[in-house]
Amino acid sequence: MSLLSEDDKKYLKELFKGMKKDVNILFFITEDKKLCMMCDDVKEILGDLKTLSDKIKVKELSFENDKDEVKKYDVRMAPSVVLLSDKDLGVKYYGIPGGYEFSSLVEDINDIGNDFISLDESVMDDVKSIDKDVHIQVFVTHTCPYCPSAVRTAHKFAMVNDKIKSDMIDANTFYEYADTYGVSAVPRVVINNKDFFEGSLPEREFLKRVLNSLK
Amino acid sequence: MMLNLNKGSNLPSEKTYDLIIIGGGPAGLTAGIYAGRSRLKTLLIEELVVGGQASTTERLENYPGFPDGIGGYELGLKMEEQAKKFGVEVLFGKVEKTELEGKFKNIYVEEKIYKSKSVIIASGATPRRLNVKGSEKFHGKGISYCATCDGALFTDKKIIVVGGGNSAVEEGLFMLRYTKDIIFVQDLPFLTAEKILQERLFENKDLKIYYNSEIISINGEDKIESMSVKDKKTNKNFDIQTDGIFVYIGLVPKTDFLDKNLSINEYGYIKVDNNMKTNLEGVFAAGDVIEKNFRQVITAASDGSIAAKSVEKYLENFKEV
Ligand SMILES: Cc1cc2nc3c(=O)[nH]c(=O)nc-3n(C[C@H](O)[C@H](O)[C@H](O)COP(=O)(O)OP(=O)(O)OC[C@H]3O[C@@H](n4cnc5c(N)ncnc54)[C@H](O)[C@@H]3O)c2cc1C
Repeated sequence: MSLLSEDDKKYLKELFKGMKKDVNILFFITEDKKLCMMCDDVKEILGDLKTLSDKIKVKELSFENDKDEVKKYDVRMAPSVVLLSDKDLGVKYYGIPGGYEFSSLVEDINDIGNDFISLDESVMDDVKSIDKDVHIQVFVTHTCPYCPSAVRTAHKFAMVNDKIKSDMIDANTFYEYADTYGVSAVPRVVINNKDFFEGSLPEREFLKRVLNSLK
Repeated sequence: MMLNLNKGSNLPSEKTYDLIIIGGGPAGLTAGIYAGRSRLKTLLIEELVVGGQASTTERLENYPGFPDGIGGYELGLKMEEQAKKFGVEVLFGKVEKTELEGKFKNIYVEEKIYKSKSVIIASGATPRRLNVKGSEKFHGKGISYCATCDGALFTDKKIIVVGGGNSAVEEGLFMLRYTKDIIFVQDLPFLTAEKILQERLFENKDLKIYYNSEIISINGEDKIESMSVKDKKTNKNFDIQTDGIFVYIGLVPKTDFLDKNLSINEYGYIKVDNNMKTNLEGVFAAGDVIEKNFRQVITAASDGSIAAKSVEKYLENFKEV
């Protein structure tokens, strides 16, 4: 049985119909079987997505062997998914974009393909004007309905400003890594490795946290 | 692997709506379905996820029509799809302020104002936070209100579930898939959850329940180490070692963003009549946010349908000037 239902495929095909730009998806797999338990599922899903729009390109890479790409895109763990337009956007998923995070992936792809990021104008202006490096990590679980909104806000910020990089991190897959950040409730958002908050915040509030962290 | 696909939201198209619904839980979505079918120009505004609180429970077993139960989030998505099918627009954003007293209501979402002839408030409720000595510093650091979200992070750890109602027992049972080390702390001498849930809980012989227990403090330096509890019968205090605490001790209605002249009761729940009318003209309320005795998906849905019907009546006599 296919993971995506026929209904889902129909919906996605329609959604991706008008995309103008290429969306490049890099999927880094790892030889660590335990971490990569669901990698085959992801391959299947990405394969499906590819057939739904000719703008979606998928490339599978090895975390252990494709050293150049790992370095180029600053990939720190695998499995992971890196989303690119014609350039690196600083948008990553560590762990697989499954469960509720599948929606985040779909919406990210849609934003990149349509070259349109739905941020409130004033928020957009303020995000664009950030001139310092920002690294946002959003810890999630696949079963957390509140998490995609935090992931999406972080990813949108990254898409509109090259200085900003943002990662979704599946706290189950990368349990030990999450533990070093003391993650015991999700979403937990960590900004520049020093400031953090729990929960989903409206875009403007999220932005405030980022700006405060730069002070 | 499970995939959840949120089927997107359209952008608001109207300048003025017949009806704005605040909240996309079961109450708001059902109001949307009925309003859409009455051909009211309707905008539903949701801050986080459709399905509301129901989306945070893995399985609903008591909602009619689903003998094998249905996922809370799945039900929310289906209700959303149904409302959209009848023309309801769904906007994701947080209502920050309302002006409900004029003939036309103003609803502030981030930096925009949406206008409407009528409003249904279906903003629901959030979990009541544990408020004892030491609890503040552990919110989000070991104290959780969502087992579906955070449960897996406590795999094979010791946890305490606080409460004895439906949510506490349901979510405690859910947590059994991650850890066997579960202790219940309940302030009453008995559980108040549905009998069928209690039976399932009691099947787990190792599971300990402390009744008549008042929480005194949460203790620990960087991490939670223990909970101090007083046995109200013997007046003796004792400590329970734990790594995490899941709290289900009731609700707080979400009404802080609403007009101050809206009539609410001492606990913050909105007062309505049988037709879900509030004290303000053209303003209705439905679901967990209203004063009532039984807060469930089905009662929220029921309120929502009644509210939508009342709006339809109200708009029949609505004069533009
Ligand atoms: C853990 C748990 C388990 C449960 N299990 C069951 C069960 O098995 N069976 C059952 O029938 N019921 C169950 N319930 C109860 C049920 O979920 C609620 O009664 C029901 O969801 C109430 O619906 P509602 O639409 O009134 O409010 P809510 O579900 O609270 O929805 C309100 C919505 O409004 C949104 N909102 C609030 N303020 C704003 C704002 N300012 N701007 C925009 N949006 C806003 C919120 O984000 C939310 O989505 C459970 C509840 C919990 C917490």
